[in-house]
Amino acid sequence: MEHEHAYTLMMDTLDGELVAEQQRALEVHLRACPSCAREWQAILAIDRLFRQTPALAPAAGFTQRTLARLPNHKYRVWTISSLYVALLLVGALPMLVGFWAYNQFGPVLSEPGLWLNLWQTAGEAIQVAVTVVSALLIGAGEFIVQEPSVLGWLLVLAGIVSLWGGMFRQLIVQPRQMSGSA
Amino acid sequence: MLNEEQTWLEQARQGDKIAFGKLIEAYQRPVYNLAYRMLNNSGEAEEAAQEAFIRAYTRLHTYKPNHKFSTWMLSITSNYCIDLIRKRRALLLSIDEPLPPHPALMSDKQKGPEAQIMLSEQQEMVQSLLQELQPDYRQAVVLRYWHELSYEEIADMMDTTVSAIKSRLFRARRQLAEIGVANGVSPVPMTLERAAV
Repeated sequence: MEHEHAYTLMMDTLDGELVAEQQRALEVHLRACPSCAREWQAILAIDRLFRQTPALAPAAGFTQRTLARLPNHKYRVWTISSLYVALLLVGALPMLVGFWAYNQFGPVLSEPGLWLNLWQTAGEAIQVAVTVVSALLIGAGEFIVQEPSVLGWLLVLAGIVSLWGGMFRQLIVQPRQMSGSA
Repeated sequence: MLNEEQTWLEQARQGDKIAFGKLIEAYQRPVYNLAYRMLNNSGEAEEAAQEAFIRAYTRLHTYKPNHKFSTWMLSITSNYCIDLIRKRRALLLSIDEPLPPHPALMSDKQKGPEAQIMLSEQQEMVQSLLQELQPDYRQAVVLRYWHELSYEEIADMMDTTVSAIKSRLFRARRQLAEIGVANGVSPVPMTLERAAV
């Protein structure tokens, strides 16, 4: 008999599925093969140990502790229903507003010159914004060139703000963290 | 018992927590035992067992009465424990923490102090052996030995085939035998009788 077949028969023995003929074959093999016999004795010992070890129970009061953690069924149903209604409204509202706007402004929106005019207006607005921002930047640059001390004052101001920020964290935030961990 | 169980299940489906409490009373031991054998920590086992019951309560509408309720509960518990073990690995937490004393063992007044110590040592030996197995082997061993599930039930629970389960148990038993003997488990004199319970 092959060793692997012997192992299969050993497992069948543990599961109580061995027929008499197979049992005899395994007995013969175990008498002739010391390594399989040793392994069978070890497997039997583990099997016996596991079968004799009782199941463990939780500490007293387990049911009450678990029941206290169960979610409220009615509240859950109400919450989920509300969520569904809210999601439905979130989807339906923009659609309704769209329909209303289309009915109100449909004829105006379908005029051929409208989109061209809108595009031109947007372009002009962007041009104005770019002009204003560039004028501001140029102006600020020229001012700093004429009055370089302004830059120094700005650096001093940033230092003071940073210092006060550090002191604020030390005095206000840190004591609260310490009292929270205590 | 089965008729009572069906009544409790029906009432629990309607949101009756007292009826669900009776189901917890009936199944707390197998559920906790499975969690403890898998996780090897009494605090985590209690947490996992509670979580399994909470999941069962919120999913009662998915329970099919053609399965045993106990098998369904054990399936939820073992899947939850396997997820926990995977998360532990992902977090690289050590699973070698010392085994905390189990309250059920410590409060067993019927047994004398010597018997209690022996039983405690036996439990520790079993736990240390189980921890040597990879989680899916451990799961199969625990379900087979303590919950006496058939190969078909274990395969169904672990979403695999009967032959895969037989193979896992076969390898697990050989591995346990090798480690057990190396750790002082005395080999049993040769016999072909099934080990006495």
